[in-house]
Amino acid sequence: MRQRSRIAAALVAAAFLSPPCQMSAAAQDMAAGKRKALACQTCHGLDGVAKLPDAPNLAGQPEPYLVRELNAYRSGARRNEVMSVAAKSLSDADIRDLAAYYSAIRIEVKSVP
Amino acid sequence: MTAKWKGIALAVALAFAAGAHAQAPQQNIEKLKQMKVSGTDLNIPVVPQTGKNADAIRENLKKVKLPPGFKIELYAIVPDARHMAVAPSTNMLFVGTRKTTVWAVTDRNGDMVADEVKPFAPSLKFQVPNGVCWTKDGFLIVVEHNRVLNFPAAEFFYEGPDVAVIEVVPQGKLIPEEEESYNHGARTCRVGPDGMLYITLGQPYNVQPAGKVALFEKLGIGGMIRMNPFDGSKREVYAVGIRNSVGMDINPKDKTVWFTDNQTDGMGDDTPPGELNRITKVGEHFGYPFIHGRNVKVAGTAAAPDLKDMKPPANWTPPQIEFPAHQAQLGMTFYNGKMFPAKYQGGIFVAAHGSWNRTTPTGALINFVSLKADGTADKSEVFAEGWLDSDTGTYRGRPVDVAVMKDGSLLVSDDFAGAIYRISYQP
Repeated sequence: MRQRSRIAAALVAAAFLSPPCQMSAAAQDMAAGKRKALACQTCHGLDGVAKLPDAPNLAGQPEPYLVRELNAYRSGARRNEVMSVAAKSLSDADIRDLAAYYSAIRIEVKSVP
Repeated sequence: MTAKWKGIALAVALAFAAGAHAQAPQQNIEKLKQMKVSGTDLNIPVVPQTGKNADAIRENLKKVKLPPGFKIELYAIVPDARHMAVAPSTNMLFVGTRKTTVWAVTDRNGDMVADEVKPFAPSLKFQVPNGVCWTKDGFLIVVEHNRVLNFPAAEFFYEGPDVAVIEVVPQGKLIPEEEESYNHGARTCRVGPDGMLYITLGQPYNVQPAGKVALFEKLGIGGMIRMNPFDGSKREVYAVGIRNSVGMDINPKDKTVWFTDNQTDGMGDDTPPGELNRITKVGEHFGYPFIHGRNVKVAGTAAAPDLKDMKPPANWTPPQIEFPAHQAQLGMTFYNGKMFPAKYQGGIFVAAHGSWNRTTPTGALINFVSLKADGTADKSEVFAEGWLDSDTGTYRGRPVDVAVMKDGSLLVSDDFAGAIYRISYQP
């Protein structure tokens, strides 16, 4: 319920706040997520492709998975020396925006022959 | 006897000594320890040095600011380039990574740009071979996450996939296997004038829990250890009370060992400071995990509530220099070259990798630290910067290590761009 009402609120806000470009709520989340991803870039890359050997790629990850795991790091249900620190200060909006951004990056898969 | 022949002679001697007790060799390392061939393809693939990527990196370097008279150029494309060891006799260097490769980087025509970059010892499988350094006789030391190898005359043997190797510390014996972690697992090393091998060991936590403090101090995790660089004997803890040092060097003048230390996360955007430290006696304690910098309390804060009321020993040693928060100082080198102006000679260059989750990214630069006549640090200034786009907060590169070449120019490695740069000076 809370999730749904927040999305509804965001949609309404988006409709009123950005009439000139008619940016959708999802697009707004993505744009905000891209800004917030500056704090993720050194490990996961702004392009969502890991820059460190111990970090996973995030590009194209399913949005619900990213939301669930960031919430788990924040609550302490999932632990990792780096991510537990990084997720601690994230708001619900931060998590939504970051998940929207990284899940929206298109990736191309080339199979091993 | 040249370093080369000394190296080869010792390698052969060791190979025969090992042969007497050899088990049926199962792995390549067992074959190489006996100087036998492993069967690895003799054609080692090389990393392309020209094209779009090299052009883009050259373009980015135009944004790097340096003092007057200095210039920076692309020296080599080296994927995941971390710490560097410039060869003592030939025109090449070895470069560690946090992945599975050590790179051999060669300037074949002496034009001060590398011509060939290829994996070193591809017969072997490395795990986080970040630390590379030389013994006095030109043996290459490679310190992995949990193993130490020594390669006699590596700068002459690296052209083929099989190289002579000595196992200094076998797999799983540098730290207890249960303390292995992906976090803070990159080692750095130097061989001192005493002939001993010094290795930095990061502790795997942001702040270690109370239950690990005594164990880590005993083992030198979150510290520095030293040992014989050929057989791992005489191992002892050289310094403790360090969070995660990923850079060290030894002052050739007074033989003191210096190291950088990385900032605790999660305490705020502007605290704690980074550190440059100087060791003057064995067993010295540098304050962590209780205090970071000169006086930022870590124990008992939200980052380490379980360390409440815990303190370092009364004689703990504060840092020589405090660097800006979260810039992540890594590799460092004393400048013992002659190319740069007198002001830089005898001082220290320090690479700052740049922050990872700070609200506004900061760092990705090279500092210069001058010394006082008594051998202690004087002050720090920014020497090179411009890898961080201040408008967008995005990185174009992240400096990891600095190394002085034989002509006195300074190499800078970058594991984000996957490159090595060369800074030279002309008045």
